Amino acid sequence: MTAQDSSAGSFEAAPREVPQSVSNIELRLQEMVLDSRDVVGFLTDLAVVASSRLSSPDNRIHSGVTVIRRKRAEAVASSDAAAHALDELQNSFGDGPCLTALRAGTTVLVSDLAVERRWGAYLKVASEHGVSSILAVPLDLAGEAEAVLNLYSGRSNGFSEDDVSTVEAFASQAASSLRLVLRITQLSEARNDLASAMQSRTVIDMAVGAIMAENRCSRDTAFQILTKASNTRNIKLRDVAASVIRSISGEQQIVTYFDE
Amino acid sequence: MYTDGGEGSEQRDRAAEERRGTAERFRKTDLPLAKLWTYYYGIGGGIDEVSLDAYLHEALDIPAAQVALIAMAMTELMEGEAS
Repeated sequence: MTAQDSSAGSFEAAPREVPQSVSNIELRLQEMVLDSRDVVGFLTDLAVVASSRLSSPDNRIHSGVTVIRRKRAEAVASSDAAAHALDELQNSFGDGPCLTALRAGTTVLVSDLAVERRWGAYLKVASEHGVSSILAVPLDLAGEAEAVLNLYSGRSNGFSEDDVSTVEAFASQAASSLRLVLRITQLSEARNDLASAMQSRTVIDMAVGAIMAENRCSRDTAFQILTKASNTRNIKLRDVAASVIRSISGEQQIVTYFDE
Repeated sequence: MYTDGGEGSEQRDRAAEERRGTAERFRKTDLPLAKLWTYYYGIGGGIDEVSLDAYLHEALDIPAAQVALIAMAMTELMEGEAS
C-alpha cells in the first residue's frame, strides 16, 4: 500500500489542503488511472484524495474503500490505519452504514452516532473508536464489481450538505475511472491466463503423445496415467508432464512461441 | 454424448453424482467461469466454455476424462489461491 498518512490513527486536526476545483479532481483521477499499477493502488489514492479534500483543521476525515469480492466484503484501501480498522470492524459485524450503502446503492449519512438507532452493535464500537459521524457513498461500477467509499469524522454533523454533494460528484467521477481500471486489469489478467494456458498445454499434449507412443494406448488412457501420477504424488499435472518429457529427451524447457 | 444400454444404471448414477459434486464444488469456490475454463484448457481440456458452463449447471453429460480434468483444474486453481 502506498501513501499512508503520517498522522495515521488519530482523529486530530490536519492542515487543510488548497481547495481543488472539480475539473482539477477530474484531471487528477485520469492521472491516477494511468499511474496506478493495480486496482488497490488506485483505490488507495482515491481514499487519500477524498480524505484530504474534506479534512479541515478542526475536522479530520478518515476515508476507506470496501469492495465486495467473491461475495465477501473486504476493506481494500484506506487513507490511514484508523479508516482501515473501522472498515474491517464493520465488515466483521456484517452490517453497518457503509455495507447498507453498498447493498442499496444509495448514499447513507449518519450525522450523529449517538442518536442513530440502526446498526446498534457496530455504531457502539465505532463511537468507542472516536467516530461521531459517518458518510458512505457507493461507487456505481456497472456490474463489474461493487465498492463503497466510506468517510469517518470525529465530530457529530461532520459532513455538511455541500460535503455530501461533493463526495457524490467525486464518487461518480471516480467510478467511471475505476470501471476503466477494472476493465484493463481484467483484460490483462485474462491475457496472462491464456498465455500460461498455452504454455502448459503444449507440455501436457507433448507428454500425452509420448505416453501414447510408449504404452501404445489411447489419448484418454494416456491422460488417465498422467492425472493418476499427478494425484498420487500431489504434483501439478503440468509439472508431471514436464518430468515425463525430461525423462525421455532431457529437455528442461519447452517453450511455446506466440506473438504478443 | 449419452451412452445408452452399454452402461449399467449404476454407472450412470455415479456419473450423475460426480457431476453434482463438481457443480457444487464450483459454486462454493466462486471461481469465475472464464478462469476455470482457461486453466482447464491449459491442462489439456477438450470442451468449450459454453459446454463447461452447461456441465457445471448439470445440464450436459461429458466424457469421464474431461470430468477428471475439470476436477483437477479446480483443485490446482484452489491450491494457487491458498498459497
